[in-house]
Amino acid sequence: MIGLLRAMGVTLKTMLRKPVTVQYPDAHLPISPRMLGFPALLWDSAVDEPACVGCKVCERYCPTDCISVTMKDNPLAKEGKSTRRKMVDDFQIRLERCILCGICVEVCNFEAIAMTDYHEQADISRGGLLATKDDLFRMGRDFQQRAGIKVTPGTPKLEAAAPPKEGSA
Amino acid sequence: MAGERGVETVDMLLNMGPQHPSTHGVFRMILKVDGERVEDAEAVVGYLHRGSEKLCERENYRQIITLFDRLDYISNFNNELVFCLAAEKLMGIEAPERAQYIRTIMCELNRISSHMMFYGAYGTDVGVFATAFMYGFREREVIQQVFEAVSGARMMHSYIRVGGVAQEVPADFVPRVRAVLSGLKRGIEECDRLLTRNEIFLGRTRGIGVLSAQDAIDYGCSGPVLRASGVPLDVRAAEPYLVYDRFTFDIPLGKSGDCWDRYWVRMEEMRQSISIIEQALTQMPEGAIQTPVAKFGFVKPPKGDAYVRAENPRGDFGVYLVSEGKETPYRVKIRAPSFCNLMALRQMVRGSYLADAVVILGSLDIVLGEVDR
Amino acid sequence: MSWTDLGWIVLSVAIFIGFITVVVLALTYAERKLIARVQQRIGPMRTGPFGLLQPVADAIKLLAKEDLTPGRSDKATFWIAPVVVFVPAFVAWVTIPFTRDIAIRNLEFGILFIMAVSGVSVAGVLMAGFGSFNKYAALGGLRAAAQLMSYELPLVVGVLGVVMIAGSMDLRVIVAEQDAVWYIALQPVAFLLFIIAGLAEVMRPPFDIPVAESEVAGGPFIEYSGMHWSMFSLAEYANTFAVAVLAALLFLGGWRGPAPESGWAQDMVQALWLLVKVSGMLAAMFWLRTTIPRLRIDQLMAVAWKGLLPVAFLNVLLTAFYLYYGWPAWTITAMSCGVMGGAVALYYRRRSARRGMPETARVRVERGRVVG
Repeated sequence: MIGLLRAMGVTLKTMLRKPVTVQYPDAHLPISPRMLGFPALLWDSAVDEPACVGCKVCERYCPTDCISVTMKDNPLAKEGKSTRRKMVDDFQIRLERCILCGICVEVCNFEAIAMTDYHEQADISRGGLLATKDDLFRMGRDFQQRAGIKVTPGTPKLEAAAPPKEGSA
Repeated sequence: MAGERGVETVDMLLNMGPQHPSTHGVFRMILKVDGERVEDAEAVVGYLHRGSEKLCERENYRQIITLFDRLDYISNFNNELVFCLAAEKLMGIEAPERAQYIRTIMCELNRISSHMMFYGAYGTDVGVFATAFMYGFREREVIQQVFEAVSGARMMHSYIRVGGVAQEVPADFVPRVRAVLSGLKRGIEECDRLLTRNEIFLGRTRGIGVLSAQDAIDYGCSGPVLRASGVPLDVRAAEPYLVYDRFTFDIPLGKSGDCWDRYWVRMEEMRQSISIIEQALTQMPEGAIQTPVAKFGFVKPPKGDAYVRAENPRGDFGVYLVSEGKETPYRVKIRAPSFCNLMALRQMVRGSYLADAVVILGSLDIVLGEVDR
Repeated sequence: MSWTDLGWIVLSVAIFIGFITVVVLALTYAERKLIARVQQRIGPMRTGPFGLLQPVADAIKLLAKEDLTPGRSDKATFWIAPVVVFVPAFVAWVTIPFTRDIAIRNLEFGILFIMAVSGVSVAGVLMAGFGSFNKYAALGGLRAAAQLMSYELPLVVGVLGVVMIAGSMDLRVIVAEQDAVWYIALQPVAFLLFIIAGLAEVMRPPFDIPVAESEVAGGPFIEYSGMHWSMFSLAEYANTFAVAVLAALLFLGGWRGPAPESGWAQDMVQALWLLVKVSGMLAAMFWLRTTIPRLRIDQLMAVAWKGLLPVAFLNVLLTAFYLYYGWPAWTITAMSCGVMGGAVALYYRRRSARRGMPETARVRVERGRVVG
């Protein structure tokens, strides 16, 4: 009986407290600066070309094989405007398979891919979550602007496993 | 067949699961019931089998960490830790001291969040309409926000790496964890008051699913299930790993090995975890967080094998790692505590009521990701 | 009976069913909001302002949902069962008065009528369990039959005390008799009996054993969907509301309270008073629901047969003595409280004799060494 009354007391006390609910689509919980969202491709605004050279290292080390990359010659390199001799031809990430582990970011030698804070992806069709190159660049540029990330050729690789957005923390 | 009062009764086979609200995932029990009495129970596992052990043979050491995250998916840090410790043992290296402390803190926080999950699910099993669940999740949410701040992910962290941890903790880590702990203390007290001494809860859990110490040992139980039966075996104390030999804490023990004891042991372990984290926060040194190993953590441990075990929230989690000196391990064998604890289910359920079967299963606190691997 | 009479009856029944449905919808909303607060949530918020249209949305969803029939079910039983549960839940309302003047048809044996009619719903639940061709449904149906029949007894015997003191089964008379003092003061035991047994009768937590979702996954209602499921749900909430209203009428002075002397305003204020008391009762029920774990079926039976029933009979006996010798009113209160205290003390003595509080132990570990 005493235990029951104590339990009733707890619930009564909680009833008078402020709810902890955050009404999701209208309000968001704060996102940690380290948040591992969907990966996206970064843009080298100094040369105005993708930072990715299509070296496929992310494709090789993706544990779920959700990335596919192809490479082509960089026309800007011939003109002498860019130091990158190759560049990404096509880049696809199947976001429904991505497990947000961040390995692609860790292994990338060119600072070309980053874990963004995008985490709301939903679609009603099977192919709907295939992020094409354009999608990835759009996400990446948007994220770069928000997080203030600058990519230039020859940027020294940050310490392994430290996503670039760490600086904005 | 004729019953004891001469009434013709027929045993009924009742299939509980894999789709049932209280089988904690896709576990299946085939119960042989005589009215409300459970005559026999058969556990059917394997619905969540993903071949994790086999997958480990084709992934490299960095990628395997993501697989271990998904074994016992509510104590991810602990799983990652065991695998990394095994690889470190093979390579003969040790993580820097600061990394050890960070690992300890994260693992103990994970233990609290896992036990909070148990608390919530158990409250639902005994029939408190979602209140215990929400209280448990309210506390768990705060911990998960710390996880997100540290590792970038709420559940699948891949934060603990071979030779250290992935990144330095945020600048406000220590004060933030302290604040979380003081909130947790109050939360645990509240959860405690809601259920622990509640007469109906006592009536539902005391004397139910009694597992004697000898039986618990025979079935290979570990963790809270074993300690609730009164066996003082905790890997953290018996074979201290990380920096557990520097802390003072209690191992809560049950006396009768019933469902209430298993529940109480977990509630008390949360308090002990808080105490361990507080000690760790005071002792935590400055320094490096990663021993230099191969690039990106793609280590190639030398030929050999190693077995490492650690105290997970569910019990003694072991990893047997065989390396051929290649990029991928030759074999990874996982000793999953939930799976071993589950073996005792049949004996405990036999002869109890149908409603007790649910309570007993809940008290084992299984995670199917780990049982089926 | 003339055509006007018939028309009047049809009209009032139609109004009544509409009224009860609205009450049930409001009740589901209130319950969800209150439970949400207990759990530090805010409850439904997305349909209409403060989620006020949530019950309407739920109703529309249920109406639009496909109504499934399990392949090998007993079709006739399966389809009739909801009706058998639904009709008594509404028929009982025929004689429940809301104020001195507002009732569909006041009956002199009102309380007996309500008890008798609500007893029928057991059959419906049992039929649902049998007809569904599902083992969970069968188990739930049997549980429901055992539970509802067991708790009928303490409920009726508990109410008997009130009926004896009031000297009538007419609900209007019972309320009128509570002029000086509410019956909760004279019959606290009967009040508790009524609440406990009443909760069990309507299968509300902590007595929701027949429908326990963590054990039998919805019990007799497991195979129902759409409209037919909503009939069960409607009946459950109508019954819950009925228990709350009856508790208010029998023990809390019904519509008594400061009100204008006569006329239209009197009726309104009286109805308001009843509503206030009923809301209090309902809030307490929802609060109980969020706090208390579910009992087990054998414990449930033990509570009914070993606990409530003897106490109920003792209460009737004491009430009889009190009436026969014409003792002053406080004696019955004292006796009633004595019975209650005695029962609780007996329960505690027996429990602590069996087993005290659980024993636990601990081992201290200091710097990696077990020190005992």
